[in-house]
Amino acid sequence: MPSSRTNFLAVKGIFLAPAFVLLAACTAGNGEGLDANGQPIPITPPANSDFQEIQDTVFTPICTQCHIGANAPQGLRLDAANSYAMLVNVASNEVGSLLRVNPGNPDQSYIVQKIQGSAAVGGRMPLGQAQLPQDRIDLIRSWIAAGAPAPTAAASSNKLTVTSSIPAAGEIAAPGLVKLTVIFAGNVDAALVGNTFELRDGFDQPVALARVQVPSGRPNVVEITAAQALPAGSYQLVVRGQGPVALADEAGHVLDGDADGTAGGDFLMSFDVSAGASR
Amino acid sequence: MKSRKHLVRWLAAAVLLAAGVEANAEPYLAAQMGFKCAMCHVNPTGGGMRNVYGNSFAQTVLAQKKIGADEDLWTGQVMKFLSVGGNARANFNYQDVPNQDSTNDFEVEEARAYLDFGVIPNRLSVYIDQRFAPGNSTNMEANVRYWFKEGEYYVKAGRMYLPFGYRLEDDNAFVRQSSGINMQAPDEGVEFGLERGSWTAQLAFSNGAGGGAELDNGKQVVTRAEFVKPKWRAGASLLYNDTDLGARSGAGLFGGYALGPVTLLGEVDYFDDDTIGDGTKLVSTLAEADWKIHQGHNLKFTYEWLDPDDDVDENEQLRYSLLYEWSPIQFVQLRAGVRVYDGIPQNDNQNRKQAFIQLHGFF
Repeated sequence: MPSSRTNFLAVKGIFLAPAFVLLAACTAGNGEGLDANGQPIPITPPANSDFQEIQDTVFTPICTQCHIGANAPQGLRLDAANSYAMLVNVASNEVGSLLRVNPGNPDQSYIVQKIQGSAAVGGRMPLGQAQLPQDRIDLIRSWIAAGAPAPTAAASSNKLTVTSSIPAAGEIAAPGLVKLTVIFAGNVDAALVGNTFELRDGFDQPVALARVQVPSGRPNVVEITAAQALPAGSYQLVVRGQGPVALADEAGHVLDGDADGTAGGDFLMSFDVSAGASR
Repeated sequence: MKSRKHLVRWLAAAVLLAAGVEANAEPYLAAQMGFKCAMCHVNPTGGGMRNVYGNSFAQTVLAQKKIGADEDLWTGQVMKFLSVGGNARANFNYQDVPNQDSTNDFEVEEARAYLDFGVIPNRLSVYIDQRFAPGNSTNMEANVRYWFKEGEYYVKAGRMYLPFGYRLEDDNAFVRQSSGINMQAPDEGVEFGLERGSWTAQLAFSNGAGGGAELDNGKQVVTRAEFVKPKWRAGASLLYNDTDLGARSGAGLFGGYALGPVTLLGEVDYFDDDTIGDGTKLVSTLAEADWKIHQGHNLKFTYEWLDPDDDVDENEQLRYSLLYEWSPIQFVQLRAGVRVYDGIPQNDNQNRKQAFIQLHGFF
């Protein structure tokens, strides 16, 4: 006559054993039809650039195991849609005096210090994994030394689109914000940027700008510098994709600012500047 | 002096009676013992500094043998209102990634110090977890904790590790990587906790920015509840993070069962993350078996499975680990193990092999 304790253990075993068998039945994927990043092979090959190569061989297959989505460590998202905007000319969260990527200066770029294991804070990246091969570190260094040019989109599109911005739409930026950055999926016609960017405050009044320019070596990026640090409040950046002067790429393709799939329409991006202490 | 010796002996005896076997700062030991995390840790959700009981346990039960005089029992309390603790892990690592030269290195995985100021005993504490290596000094946790009603409820506010699933030592476990909640990623917020009977439960509100600067007004809500019995335990976790990038929601189930010298742990987590691409559904699992071969000796086997994107077929990954953990004397642990990754063949990193030897000192 089995004891109640034996029965109890047996009942638990009945539930536990199948659970472990089920887990053990899970296998790794065979990768059929996928690229090295575990995504379906794209119909058109990606653009050929150093940054794209870094994205495809380092950021996506390795870093995005953690650095992705809203819970990415230190808020750093390294998936293809966000990596460039979150790296280039963006202050490190761990060491605020250093930029994650300081164009032209790999030794003063926090990402280089992190992958080389010489950063002031925390362990070498990728954490708990083999260190990056030297040729990947060299590629990242050389990309930064060359001015950290942005990836260029395939020239098949008949419109110019916005890829990302700093600050991002809806972001609450730290006090002292002076410079905004907009990254496009194509090379911008630099002659048009002076008349197509406008920054407005929460009262819909224009904010004085010191300059709007396409930085050297980064033809798909526009930097908007305010005349002075933006006071706390709400702001909206307007990029004209319609009207007398509309932003276009070097081939004359007009901005699809309202993202309706066709050229034309203004790009509107709202953000706030906080009044709190900088972090 | 005599009364202190009596106290120490009483404490050691109490630990031995309560324990019967061994314990450490890992969930399998809590499952093996039928303990809640708060039994041995200052933090009710586990990890970090050990309390008086946890320190006594480490000396009188965990180690293969205790050296030194019986009455010299470290409790962590260096003065009436202050307790200290620490962890240091020094590794020798070997890594083999297909199509790359293998690498090996010595590494200080971490060195941390803990301070707990019990300014109102059993009521109000200020807790600090400071990491000194690798890199410069970095604060990982800094919070104020207040207990109500004889330790049944608490509120904690500040920087903390959030409650979700098992608090594993291995931050690279798929379940901890996919949740984004691990010992590398504290967050800032407030946590409410319940420690009553067989129940331990927490509800936390935090920035949900992965420890980075808060960029929006959305917040993250995480809750975890666990029912703990001497031989088994079961629990569930829920997470919802509202951000301007989109919403991220998750749910997890976990449980443990002690079968004599073998302890089994399992966890299954599911996340629906609108903040990744066009939206990603992710599943991660952990199955762990720990065999207490002899006092001070543990053999650990883990089997993990990850589906990083449920909408994509044949992209699943596996991870196996086999570790031997030897605690020859109190506060010292030697660990050696191998981890084998098995992923899609076109990604070398998903098919790497790792081995390590670790000297772990703690108090």
